[in-house]
Amino acid sequence: MKPELLDPIEWETIIEAIDKEFGIGVTKKLLGKLTPMALVHGNWRNIYLIPTSWMDMLFEEAPSGFDYHLVGKQLGVMTQDRFRLSLQILPDLVKLTTKVLIVSKQGAESFTYGRSILKQSVLYMDFNLKRGQRVLVMDEDHFCLGIAALSMDASRLGRLGKDKLVGKNLVDIGWFIRRLG
Amino acid sequence: MSTKELRQKAKTLAKEHEYQQYMIERYLALWGEEDTLRFLEACEQPIRTSIRMNTLRMESEKTVERLQKKRIELEKIPWLSNGYYADFEGHSTPGAFLEHMLGFYYVQGVPSMTTVEVLDPQPDETILDLAAAPGGKTTHIAQQMHNSGIVVAVEMDRRRISSLESNILRCGVTNAIVLRGDAKKVERLNLEPDRILLDAPCSGEGLIPLDPTRKTSKSMADVRFCATKEDELLDAAVTVLAPGGTIVYATCSIAPEENEYIVDEILKRHPDMKIVPIPLDFGTPGYSEPFGVSLDESLKLSKRFLPHLHGTEGFFICKMIKEGKA
Repeated sequence: MKPELLDPIEWETIIEAIDKEFGIGVTKKLLGKLTPMALVHGNWRNIYLIPTSWMDMLFEEAPSGFDYHLVGKQLGVMTQDRFRLSLQILPDLVKLTTKVLIVSKQGAESFTYGRSILKQSVLYMDFNLKRGQRVLVMDEDHFCLGIAALSMDASRLGRLGKDKLVGKNLVDIGWFIRRLG
Repeated sequence: MSTKELRQKAKTLAKEHEYQQYMIERYLALWGEEDTLRFLEACEQPIRTSIRMNTLRMESEKTVERLQKKRIELEKIPWLSNGYYADFEGHSTPGAFLEHMLGFYYVQGVPSMTTVEVLDPQPDETILDLAAAPGGKTTHIAQQMHNSGIVVAVEMDRRRISSLESNILRCGVTNAIVLRGDAKKVERLNLEPDRILLDAPCSGEGLIPLDPTRKTSKSMADVRFCATKEDELLDAAVTVLAPGGTIVYATCSIAPEENEYIVDEILKRHPDMKIVPIPLDFGTPGYSEPFGVSLDESLKLSKRFLPHLHGTEGFFICKMIKEGKA
């Protein structure tokens, strides 16, 4: 994969995508003193955050016979016009956002098997969250298990039956195991 | 034992234990009959599962506490800072636990963990990890460095790179660069690493307790083929190592041809390389006269894990430094 610097427009798109879901200024805090860059593979642009001291080394072509596959901290993947966060960044993101959904032990287990979240598993969710909102799914000990998209306004939670869908699983840490088999 | 007697004995044991005869002949020549029998018996016993607590994600003590609450029996491995024997009996696989998915621990063999402790990576250094997949050692190196400096992980196999990447992400490693390519060509990277870990692809003769098919799957020609590759890899690695730098050469083979013989050749070809003692209390010394062949005396400073002596898979670890100032 070829290393590339991000152009300001692409970086703005990413900032917008993250901040819109998780709060204004969140992306800047995730970035800290690091620099964003991309490893490009066809239409996929894997976005990484790297120390500036690595720049000289990386922005030359990969040495002959070698191909970059991962560099530094993975922020996410840009595919065509959509940005998806990496599982690696979620523990950092948890500290910066209130867009969270806390689930029971049973709900946590089910979520890490790739399932979505039902009303009966929800322990806490901000009353103001709206349908379509991306939320970080956390267990009772506040460890982040992945991301879900709300399928209803949080204010309607009390009126839902216990077996009704609350959040659709977008990505979860069980992926690490499912991917490797 | 005469050669004829040795061959006859090897033939009988090979048939009885379902090994290739050449393997038993070599064990008898290396260790004698008593230890060979102990080795064969040990290879039938399961290896204890071990895990490394990943302090990049969670303090070791807290992971221990969480696992013990789930009735996982843990026993600290004396010479390892974050290594534990873990008894998951009665549970699903160690990889299915939430703590594993969260990257709090890594399921890793004792010799593999030991290899990184022997390398002793320091914060802010540049470290090269050759033949790095599936990433147990890469993530361990990053852990020892507290995610500072750089770990350059090189792996040739495209499919194995997926598991390397996955483990790096899961374990919260942020100081790694993963490159796909031939480790024999590392000079093209223009790096002068402070430390290099080469856990070389090998014949896997030490893995018989984990993979019984290894009793019959490889010939002596395979061992020689692996030895040629290992020699090329180690030669390439020591060439790029910074003066004053450290290299650890390891294999999961018990064959001296893939271990002591390789290092001996490197010492002859690179007079600036020296074997240094390993200041950790584990294993038994490497061989300086395997099969009656005189090798460099300092090979006794290298270490071996053997199933019948240490209850682990067979492994070889040798630590060397390149003379000169860093």
